[in-house]
Amino acid sequence: MAALTREHSRQPGQPSPLARCLTLLQRTYRARTAYLFLLPGLVLFGIFVIYPMLYSLRISFYDWNVIKPARSEWVGMDNYKTLLISPVLRRAVLNTLAYTVTTVPGQMILALVVAILLDQEIRGKTLFRVAYYLPVVTSWVIATLVFEYLFNSQAGLINYMLRDVLRLVHEPVRWLADPILAMVPIHLLGIWKGVGWSAVILLAALKEIPADLQEAAAVDGAGPWHRLRDITLPLLRPTLVFLLVVLVIGALNVYIPVLLMTNGGQPLDLTHSALTLMYKETFDRLNFGGGAATSYLLTSFVFVVSIVQIRLLRQRMEY
Amino acid sequence: MKHGKWTVALLGGLLILSLFLTACGVEETPEPTEPPAAAEEPTKAPMEAPAEEPVAVTYWHTMSDAEVEAMEEVIAMFEAEHPNVHVEMTRYAYDDFKSALLTSLAGGEGPDTARLDIIWVPELAEMEALSALDSAMSDFDEIATKTFPGPLATNHWQGHYYGLPQDTNTQVLLWNRELFDEAGIEAPPATLDEFKQIACALSKGEEQYGYAMGGTYFWAPAPVFYAMGGKVVDEGITTAEGFVNGPESVAAFQMLVDMYNEGCLSPNLLGGGVGTSDGLATGLYAMIIDGPWMVDIYKADFPEFEVNFAPIPTGPDGTSSSVVGGQNVVVFDSSQHKEEATEWVRFLLSEEAQLKMAERGVIPTLSTIIGDPGLPEYFGVFLEQLKTAQARVPHPKWGDMDGAINNAYQRVLRDEQTVQEALDQAAEEINALLAQ
Repeated sequence: MAALTREHSRQPGQPSPLARCLTLLQRTYRARTAYLFLLPGLVLFGIFVIYPMLYSLRISFYDWNVIKPARSEWVGMDNYKTLLISPVLRRAVLNTLAYTVTTVPGQMILALVVAILLDQEIRGKTLFRVAYYLPVVTSWVIATLVFEYLFNSQAGLINYMLRDVLRLVHEPVRWLADPILAMVPIHLLGIWKGVGWSAVILLAALKEIPADLQEAAAVDGAGPWHRLRDITLPLLRPTLVFLLVVLVIGALNVYIPVLLMTNGGQPLDLTHSALTLMYKETFDRLNFGGGAATSYLLTSFVFVVSIVQIRLLRQRMEY
Repeated sequence: MKHGKWTVALLGGLLILSLFLTACGVEETPEPTEPPAAAEEPTKAPMEAPAEEPVAVTYWHTMSDAEVEAMEEVIAMFEAEHPNVHVEMTRYAYDDFKSALLTSLAGGEGPDTARLDIIWVPELAEMEALSALDSAMSDFDEIATKTFPGPLATNHWQGHYYGLPQDTNTQVLLWNRELFDEAGIEAPPATLDEFKQIACALSKGEEQYGYAMGGTYFWAPAPVFYAMGGKVVDEGITTAEGFVNGPESVAAFQMLVDMYNEGCLSPNLLGGGVGTSDGLATGLYAMIIDGPWMVDIYKADFPEFEVNFAPIPTGPDGTSSSVVGGQNVVVFDSSQHKEEATEWVRFLLSEEAQLKMAERGVIPTLSTIIGDPGLPEYFGVFLEQLKTAQARVPHPKWGDMDGAINNAYQRVLRDEQTVQEALDQAAEEINALLAQ
């Protein structure tokens, strides 16, 4: 490190490209120990991340034969073209976005409420903390099956409550048979399962807020609402932004609940998420090229969203 | 300083090498993975291991608990006869099987043999994953002539047989005798007209449905579809026009849709309802259509329930029909032990192995053992049904064709299209698949 900083201070005003290249090499050489330490990680990263990524980029331009790759046919941008005009992909993207738009704020708002409640001096605090965290450690598959039972149209608890107890509907609601209604259990499951995790993160952030700030505000006559709005929330901002970024990436990758609850896009391929569509293209239809192209479209989308969010993160950190 | 130069050289070399490797890797992997070498292997292998260490033949499948127990006995019988071979079986869940198989085959770690759903054979043969058994086994014809022609035909793709039928099945009618007795109906329906009448007579709103099917995928309506005289494509598999949207096919779906609209067919087929096997046993459904495995399922889940089978009711022309299901045993092209693998295939098609599996509800494919006293009594109705049961389209794109018909059925049930419109669209989609 010392070598690096010295190098910086010694740099002349405007070096020629060749000189710049040489200094780069020189600097690389001076930091050789650091690079050697990085090497094993980089090699693994290269083999298990970069290489498969490049390989699947290649697959996305072929009508790929997975067993005899040499027989694959080059189709250029055809896989991408087919996808971009496909109503199924458009619907899958919409479904994924809808999931993100409901579950991310849903989780954050509920997690904030839970965290604030858990931050109070109440009896049985540990019990509540465990209870709210339990869904997080439950397996996605099991939780999905339970939600599927709850929302069963003929024998489910939800329909029983809605119709026989609350008398809100006359006919049993066919949750999973309808492409729009099927989103209800999927989104609710996403929120229910994620609240605990976000709450724990927020709770840790709440503990960091100095108590004297809250006390001083209280002495100045600020009620609970004012203290939440003017002290708690602004101080939680970096944590909330972090949660936003992580939850959005997670939501865009929703897979298990959609796959299980909709039997992979049923009815009529209207309930796919981006990932279930990718799976179906690849392994049900054996269209490896189309599957790879779907994954590249998804990746570029997540990439753009992440860049926007990182900008957002940077801005907010500087308040 | 000398030391430093070496480090730079090393780092630079590694950098270039890594770039080169990535580039090469991408370039090189699609080479045909040298099939000649793979072809030579099997002849070498037995010489390298002269009867000391038994050769391991891997066998993947998607069997039920009961079938696995019987298969363990079959393997023991085989290994007693062939001490030089050891069969290692691996069980997969049906839904995960294709992806597990393909990824391992792509990675060069595929099994030697597998039991595949009959509809997957053309697909995998088209991908050149399978070994053509009619060339690999000298006695193929001898074995093949002993099997039922229907199941055997599902192994045929573009002039070769890529497998042998390991087991077969079809769907028949299952009916809940209690509900029939309650309504004073003495016997299961003989014709499809009666079937509809009885189904409606046994329906009581949401409390009870006369008939229920597991979903809208083709396997579910297929028995009624074929019994009504429906066809997906022509004999030569060249067109769906006039077949999947022909008058018989339309009439078949029209009947089911009418039953649904009149409340005689449970809405569970659209998803998110009570499953057919539970529903039949608990009295929610009076009739379902399903396969021979239901005996073992009910034995485990509803031991009190009396399972009653009946043939699929006859259609307008007076004949009954159903859909052929089953599994084929295949040898993979990538297998290093083809000789031992085919020996195992041969054994699975032997009378002793087929009778052993039959004890656990697996219907044999050898016509030579029909009538054997060792076969369970309830096989009778299935074996009779198999005489008229029809195979789904043996084509690599069958999965997509199934999807086209499934979606057509869904659109009609959702009142988005008439049966004719929906099936016209399906015919167009299937023709596009056939043209590829």
